[in-house]
Amino acid sequence: MNAKPDVIRKCFWPICLVGLFLTSVLSQSCDLLYVHLNRVTWQNLKLLSHMSNPFPVECLKEKKAFELPQEILSHTQPVKRHIEEAFYEISSQVFNIFSQHACKSAWDEKHLKQIQIGLHQQVEYLERCLEEEEKESEDMKQMEEKISGSGDRETLLNNLKLRRYFNRLGNFLKDKKYSQCAWEIVLVEIRRCVFYYFQKFTTLLRKK
Amino acid sequence: MPVNPLPCCCDSQTTNAPIPKVENLPIPSPAHFSFPSIAFVYISLVFVTSHALPDFLEKPCTLKITLRNFQSIFSWELKNHSIVPTHYTLWYTIMSKPEGMKMVEGCTNITRPFCDLTDLWNNMHETYIPRVVAFKGNTELVSCVDSIFLPLNMSFDPPDFEIVDSMGHINVIVKFPYNAPKISVDRLRRHLSLVIEQRSEEIVKKHKPKITGNVTGDFVYVLDKLIPNTNYCVSVYFEPKNLRAVIRSPLKCTLLPGLEPESSESAIIGGIVTVFLIATVFISSIVTLKRIGYIYLRYNLPDALNFYNRPAWIFPEPPPLEAVDTVDVIYINRKKKVRDYNSDDETDSEDETAPRVSAGGYTRHGLITKLLTQASTSLSTSKESQLIDLDVGEDYLSEAEAEPPLVPEPSSGQSECASGPYDRRESELQDPFSEEDNSSTEGSGDRIIFNVNLNSVFVRALDNDDDGDVSPMLPEETVDLENPDEMESSFLIPREEGMPPPFPSTSEEHLESEDAPSEKSDSSESDVDIGDGYVMR
Repeated sequence: MNAKPDVIRKCFWPICLVGLFLTSVLSQSCDLLYVHLNRVTWQNLKLLSHMSNPFPVECLKEKKAFELPQEILSHTQPVKRHIEEAFYEISSQVFNIFSQHACKSAWDEKHLKQIQIGLHQQVEYLERCLEEEEKESEDMKQMEEKISGSGDRETLLNNLKLRRYFNRLGNFLKDKKYSQCAWEIVLVEIRRCVFYYFQKFTTLLRKK
Repeated sequence: MPVNPLPCCCDSQTTNAPIPKVENLPIPSPAHFSFPSIAFVYISLVFVTSHALPDFLEKPCTLKITLRNFQSIFSWELKNHSIVPTHYTLWYTIMSKPEGMKMVEGCTNITRPFCDLTDLWNNMHETYIPRVVAFKGNTELVSCVDSIFLPLNMSFDPPDFEIVDSMGHINVIVKFPYNAPKISVDRLRRHLSLVIEQRSEEIVKKHKPKITGNVTGDFVYVLDKLIPNTNYCVSVYFEPKNLRAVIRSPLKCTLLPGLEPESSESAIIGGIVTVFLIATVFISSIVTLKRIGYIYLRYNLPDALNFYNRPAWIFPEPPPLEAVDTVDVIYINRKKKVRDYNSDDETDSEDETAPRVSAGGYTRHGLITKLLTQASTSLSTSKESQLIDLDVGEDYLSEAEAEPPLVPEPSSGQSECASGPYDRRESELQDPFSEEDNSSTEGSGDRIIFNVNLNSVFVRALDNDDDGDVSPMLPEETVDLENPDEMESSFLIPREEGMPPPFPSTSEEHLESEDAPSEKSDSSESDVDIGDGYVMR
């Protein structure tokens, strides 16, 4: 009777590793965008939470409203490509913030590298998926220009709003001279931004 | 709602150590103040506070946000249990908004250490900053501040449930509130999975039922395929989809009832029925295989394996002699009419008699070729047709029974045998190889006549021919109707006028009919017996 649990115990970790490997391999496919976003986003959120815990109470007086653009992809029937473009813009901007030289003094190097690697992987993945979608839609370009001409314009507007938002974060850091409190506040805001769009985009992808 | 200013840093540094009251301390007189005393007091204060530094730097409270019965419950607990506050007050702020701390209505000057924030903390993406202040009277004892990010900080209490065991299965009844807030239901669907864990000895089985529709009232899940007389424990909990830690409910265990005596009787009955069914299936399969021929079952053993009749086996009886039937050969001369479809031959069939069959079943017939019909055209056309038309095919006539008109006669004797049906037949015989005009055959184009040399044919000898019906001879040679040139020369009988017709059998028939014995004697003298009853003439 004890043979079966022993076998299970022996095989448990190899099976887990294989499962994680398969998950990571399969999630690299652009058809599994939801799976990839789910896995990578939660990893980044946990890292960000580790970095900002506990939040220094003394920094509360410096907090600011950065006006996250919540209307992105809210009014139209977004296609998968629009979601990928929005998430690509967000990931790129966040990566740029954490790649600034002044960030190194604010955070633990180990955590900083981990978050940079995670964000870089996400950016590369979304770049590849966008390139694949462009190749697939080359034949339909003329048709799409008429249909999604407004979609392209909206994509540009959305990207513009996102860039303005991240500019505000950057300016806040600059104004606060990259103080610890400024970094803490910006980190909390980035975590909020990532989770908000993660919730929104995964809901849209599940509907598809 | 009164708004407190932002707490200063010192609020979070509130010590847990009891603060000595100033009135209890001995007040030294100015005469006693000296440098050593001051130094001693200073060092003491530093020493005391240094001991309190760990507590001073650590959070004095543990703040938790829990989803319990679909309610977001914020609770706290003082780490220093020696501090017993009389009441608490809760404030909070949101990081994304520039506003300060806000007091929570319904959580002011409360004695309970928790507060329901379901309607206040609605957004999962926000970071909330709660502050709990513990008072004793009007004295602020402790102030606790923290940051709460719901997706990572919220824990999920397991739901209430009951288990009801039945015959071979367990019903798990999960109790959900009837008026669950919509926000909590959405939160559950999005971020959580309900897990029912079944434990038996060392085996753990997880069930993740899908909850569809409204999450209200009792949700029943059945655990089946269980082993009787086994102890099963069940635990129910929510599992976050981001694979964070879970909070399991306490196990609820039950011992599944085993088989009762009545059930053992039913087991016996069930066993008997099962055996009966198996036997039925087996027998029916054997019968089916036998019927379809897959199995050959013999009821009787072969004689070689029959050991019952041992004397017979040892001394086998001689096989019985084979019975040999005597064969009586009856020769039947048959004439076959050549049916010419261009003329009216049907009337001839009326005059045809049934073919005669010998005792041995032999019938004889001849073949008629076209060329022979040509050969027959040289015969006098003035005479009535007296040629024998031998049928090839269906129409057979027994010459013995045939009317004499069927038999060709010599010109002198033809008239004797002539009869009505033959009046229409031509009697000319010609050399089949002649190329003469066959105008006579044209006149009798519906007749095919050929000559047969009886000297070259085999006829069966009559040994015991008591039957006068047997007529000895008609040739039974086949002639190639397609190429009559290939006929054997033996068949060819050049005919001259006055010569007897090439069918001596016909004449013999006449003779037979008139004088049968003499005919036979003649045939016997000129025949050559080649064995097996056949004679070559």
